[in-house]
Amino acid sequence: MSDTENPYEIAYTRERQARLKAEQLLEDKSRELYLKNQKLAESYKKLQQQQAVAMQNEKLATLGTLSAGVAHEINNPLAFVLSNLESLPIYKQALLRLLELNQKYLNDPGIPEIYRKEIADLIEKEDLDFIGEDMHGLIDDTIEGIQRVKEIVLNLRSFARTQGSDRIEADLCAGINSTLKLLTSELKTGVTLKLDLQPLPGVVCNPNQLNQVFLNLIMNAKQAVEGRANPTITIKTSCEDGAVRIRIADNGCGMPPEVQKEIFVPFYTTKPIGQGTGMGLAIAYGIIQDHGGKISVKSAVDQGTVFVIRLPLSGQTEGAETGIAEEVSD
Amino acid sequence: MKGVIFNVLEDLVIKQCGMQGWNEVLSENPEATGIYTASESYPDEELFGLVGSVAQKLEMPIAEVVEIFGTYLFHQLAERYPMFVEQPENLREFLLSIESVIHIEVRKLYDSPNLPNFTYDESSQDQLVMHYQSPRKLCILAEGLVRGAAESYKTPITIDHPVCMHQGADHCDLIIRFGNV
Repeated sequence: MSDTENPYEIAYTRERQARLKAEQLLEDKSRELYLKNQKLAESYKKLQQQQAVAMQNEKLATLGTLSAGVAHEINNPLAFVLSNLESLPIYKQALLRLLELNQKYLNDPGIPEIYRKEIADLIEKEDLDFIGEDMHGLIDDTIEGIQRVKEIVLNLRSFARTQGSDRIEADLCAGINSTLKLLTSELKTGVTLKLDLQPLPGVVCNPNQLNQVFLNLIMNAKQAVEGRANPTITIKTSCEDGAVRIRIADNGCGMPPEVQKEIFVPFYTTKPIGQGTGMGLAIAYGIIQDHGGKISVKSAVDQGTVFVIRLPLSGQTEGAETGIAEEVSD
Repeated sequence: MKGVIFNVLEDLVIKQCGMQGWNEVLSENPEATGIYTASESYPDEELFGLVGSVAQKLEMPIAEVVEIFGTYLFHQLAERYPMFVEQPENLREFLLSIESVIHIEVRKLYDSPNLPNFTYDESSQDQLVMHYQSPRKLCILAEGLVRGAAESYKTPITIDHPVCMHQGADHCDLIIRFGNV
């Protein structure tokens, strides 16, 4: 019996073929599984991003409602506190005049000694000379403090969009230019400004509010490029797909992802205490949302930050969202 | 080492020495089970032991057996995974695709395939220098595989191996010269 006729060898060869096929099948399936797994991982990542955006929007919406309530509640007592405080300087003058009169009579020999001494003792005991001097400062500081509280409440109301706004058709490029004029002195210290302002069709908006957004974003960009080599701010406008697009980019210090997540939250600030209210971007967000638009940010630490605003042309909503990404890629 | 390498060795030995020959090789290596599945990993020492026995049986130096095995291995792998040889248009392109295509695909399927690392010096058109690095120091097997690839692409080559990990270097240089040099 020759080797080729050996039935075991024939069976072995057949089995070997079967094994090779099985292994091939296993490998094909593994590859398929790998590709599916990769797709799944991508979808999961996308889902996580969307979830983060949804959560952020929900948080901002809740904060908006909360802010509106708080602002309203504070606003009423604030109004009478401020009004009362503003009356105090007048009352103060009256009291001071009384004190002056007292001083005058203190030195008047026509007034019996016993009364003069009693008044002099009271003035000394209560330190009324000092009170008279200190009252000016106290009242002024208090009014200033209350004015600041009023501003904060106003900012909160801007974020919460509780105020009505008058809309007119406006040229946003003109708005950007006028904002830049306001910032001339701020920007002249070595910051290169690159403008690529394509003419835009008129947008129905509240131009004052949008100018405030541009101001906030440009000021932030200016602060981000401070102390950087070749500090540059680039502003670009374009019109596409029924929306205008304003892109404000800087090559400044950039932000890590954990900061990017919070920047639209009211009172969130990375600046030291006392500098920066943390309301600039929250207000910008509120205004853009109020205009049916979308503001998005992309940033890399030590590379810079890009803000993109999209505003719909015909008043349709852009599905306002804080954003991730794809909008800011170029 | 992946089971597919053992499978191909088994094929080669059966072809050259018959089934009895392979059984003898296995019996000389009690740690070797002889049961190898292509995608499973088995200890390197098991393969080295089997190759040593084969060299003894054929009365050939181990290096020579490894190189012959490498050449045969290439043809077997090319048969099993034809897509990797169909894509590149010539031998040079194929050799360059080992690191950039084949190893990437292998890593997709296996978690820790312990692949060798190749870097290339492509500065000359007539030759390609492949820098080989692997803790297994299987540079001779790599040489055999390159020879197999050259046969497959019908491209005559010569291989110089002036720098070698077996001589204490941290990598091997395989200088592949194309054409009849």
